[in-house]
Amino acid sequence: MSRVATRSAFATFRDQYAELMRSAFLIDLQYRASIAIWLLWGITEPIISLGIWWSIAAGGAVDGYTREDFARYFFGVALVNQATLSWDAWNIDRWIREGEMNFRLTRPIAPIHEAIADNIAYKAPTAVIILTAWIGAATFWPAVRIPFEPGRWALAIIAIVLAAAIRFLNGYATGLLAFWTTRATALVELQFGLSLFLSGRIAPLSLLPPQVVRAAEYLWFPYVLSFPVEVLTGTVTTGGQYARGFGGQAIWLAIWLLLYLLVWTRGRRRYGAVGG
Amino acid sequence: MTGIRRAMIVLRAFWQLNWLEELQYRGNFIASLLGTVFWLLMAMLTVALYFRHTPRLGGWEYWDVVVLLGIFNALAGVVETVLRPGIGHLPTDVRSGALDLVLVRPVDAQFYVSFRRLDVWRLADVVLGLALSGYAFAQSGRTVSAWALIAFAVTFAVAIAVVYAIWVTLMSLAFWFVAVENMSALFDAVFEAARYPVSAYPGALRFLFVYLIPIAWTTTIPASALTGRLNPSLALWAMGVGIVALGASRLLWRVALKRYTSAGG
Amino acid sequence: MPTAIVATGLSKTYDVKVRDPGIRGALAALARPRYRQVRAVDDVSFAIERGDAVAFLGPNGAGKTTTLKMLTGLLFPSSGRAQVAGCDPWTGGNAFRQRIAFVLGNKQQLLWDLPPEETFRLNRAIYGVSAADYTTRRAELVELLVLGDLIDKPARQLSLGERMKCELAAALLHQPEVLFLDEPTLGLDLEAQQTIRTFLGEYRRRHGATILLTSHYMADVTALASRVLIINRGRLLYDGELSELVARIAPIKRIELVLSETVSRARLEEYGTVAHYAPPRATLEVPRELATAASTRLLTDLEVADLSIQDPPIEEVIRIAFGETEHDVLAEPEPVARTDVRRAPP
Repeated sequence: MSRVATRSAFATFRDQYAELMRSAFLIDLQYRASIAIWLLWGITEPIISLGIWWSIAAGGAVDGYTREDFARYFFGVALVNQATLSWDAWNIDRWIREGEMNFRLTRPIAPIHEAIADNIAYKAPTAVIILTAWIGAATFWPAVRIPFEPGRWALAIIAIVLAAAIRFLNGYATGLLAFWTTRATALVELQFGLSLFLSGRIAPLSLLPPQVVRAAEYLWFPYVLSFPVEVLTGTVTTGGQYARGFGGQAIWLAIWLLLYLLVWTRGRRRYGAVGG
Repeated sequence: MTGIRRAMIVLRAFWQLNWLEELQYRGNFIASLLGTVFWLLMAMLTVALYFRHTPRLGGWEYWDVVVLLGIFNALAGVVETVLRPGIGHLPTDVRSGALDLVLVRPVDAQFYVSFRRLDVWRLADVVLGLALSGYAFAQSGRTVSAWALIAFAVTFAVAIAVVYAIWVTLMSLAFWFVAVENMSALFDAVFEAARYPVSAYPGALRFLFVYLIPIAWTTTIPASALTGRLNPSLALWAMGVGIVALGASRLLWRVALKRYTSAGG
Repeated sequence: MPTAIVATGLSKTYDVKVRDPGIRGALAALARPRYRQVRAVDDVSFAIERGDAVAFLGPNGAGKTTTLKMLTGLLFPSSGRAQVAGCDPWTGGNAFRQRIAFVLGNKQQLLWDLPPEETFRLNRAIYGVSAADYTTRRAELVELLVLGDLIDKPARQLSLGERMKCELAAALLHQPEVLFLDEPTLGLDLEAQQTIRTFLGEYRRRHGATILLTSHYMADVTALASRVLIINRGRLLYDGELSELVARIAPIKRIELVLSETVSRARLEEYGTVAHYAPPRATLEVPRELATAASTRLLTDLEVADLSIQDPPIEEVIRIAFGETEHDVLAEPEPVARTDVRRAPP
């Protein structure tokens, strides 16, 4: 009879996460060249958008956004985007198709924890790299500087973490649809396409037609990119805006958590019924 | 000309083979077509958004920008049909050793690798893109001239050649950096800049995209030719660039291959 | 001794879509979907005592892996029940998973880009193994499996046999009560197969783990388990001692020959029953105890390029013992009325 160590569930959890993150980090380290290329690929979209808006705003502010505002905004987008990437749907799909889901389902830890650890291990260092590049750029390019406001920065970090959690659960839950269909990743891509506009990736939300913005606010999109960026760049100022933003994040975090639990239990049952 | 004739025969065989293979996956065709239409729509909405705040983009009017967008899509379609499944697969083949099976065949390796695998369904992207350009051209109210069409055909062919040369170069580097799996992402990253006319970018970026990573030219020049902006000397210059690009990439390929085979693979 | 594994009437039936080829068929299938039932596992019952080693034998597609997946909680049965290590595999949760290990022969669990050592560390944390336990168990496994410096090389640099040994070590760090192995020696060279069989025997002797393995190699059984469960077409054909089974079938060995000279079939008949004759290759069947003698005679009398002595494949054993062939697996079962065979878990 094995001696199962008696310790609190929290300690076990903590150890599991520590090791999962460590393995993920070591693997990422091996793939650092590829990751560098992914990083480059990730920042080209905001750079190109910035380039276009910079040109457009040559003659003056566009709906209240000066060239400098655009510069700050898109640097923020690059940072927050890196922290909120979602790739898990592709992993889930591959694991189910190739039978690698099986051993994950016979371990005493739900598969989502491996994904969370993997996300943190990847996003924390790479976000720091983007941040460093931002600081570097700020030394010789005044346009991208943000005033030193520790309180605001702390709030921005919270908003970014919440945004990352929402987007992770959203991507993971959608990816779990792979238990039913081979097109789960297409659904994630569809959402990504919509988020180009509704998250404020292509342009600050205030530059979109008002009806589109109103529609977006009924969904989670603004809360996973636009809100954290605007906290960071100082566009969010009033208590009401903070309340609406954080409130929206909290609500959508709860919704996607529930949706994840729903899809997971149903999907697990389906997998048990029909196999891979 | 038995070399060319043989190449044509092999090419035809590849084409038929890929058709047969792909015919099994008709579902994929619908899916990828829907995907292309969706992304094209997103791209057009983006352009519409820009033009909500400005009458011209880098001096180009709305429909001219859409013409360029169509050409971008058509070029992307060529990438998805021929380049990504073909030479884009090289790093995987090198790692798995499948390249060795290619090297023993009596066909030029670069040719074989480039055209063995085709994603024939993605040709729809090319058709869609060119159709969009045609539609936008009509909407722009311009009149079509024979010179413009010829210039467009030539510069579009040059664009394909340049894009191909870039892929060959990137994939040749895969021989040195075998561990890197996403070389093609480097292309994807930079190619995004070709969505808009070069003149739409501000000074520093324009310098980058014109002289350092001349990717924007692949769409701007053919679009300029079609919309009558192109001065003939630039067209000749582009042709020269295309030829040089093909030659230089071929050279790099042979150096890489020589290193691979002499190193024992 | 308490029972470690009890299966009662386990069945698993799938609905498989039936579709005519071509566009017509595709449209028809959309409008009116047709199904046929495939009985992957059909009313399988058995009990395994704690500390026993049992082999699940059968041809490909017989239902071995499906049964194993039901016992490990991956699939839930269409009907029937199971108890493993005192838990219901489907509802047992993490407490159940803590007590088992599931190793699949052709599916990697080791972290591919890192040395097996890292997978050990990860499993230690995931299964909550204490530091003291980890040190002792790891040392023992390294010693028994002769891992040496293998654990410091990235997994992708290891051969299949080396990887399998490391997989086993990683799976046993938490000292599970029941070890499920699905085709553990598949694709391995003879030496690696031998090492693993010896290891499993020794491990069981030391720690009393219950081992259930599936295989289509007879040699896995002879070395490891005295008791076999033979399954074909989802049904349990035999549950008992291997020696009894061997006695049941004509105990034969096969001699595979590659000849360097032309030998007539009639000539070969002098040495044993000719099972296959395709010059320069031929297969002879001889009684088990005469195999060595016959081989010596063949090598002396004829020009032989290659000779090997083999057990008859499991398909042959089944055919001889039970008069069935594995080809029956592929035949269409009788059409049944389509009923909902998916049952929600209790």
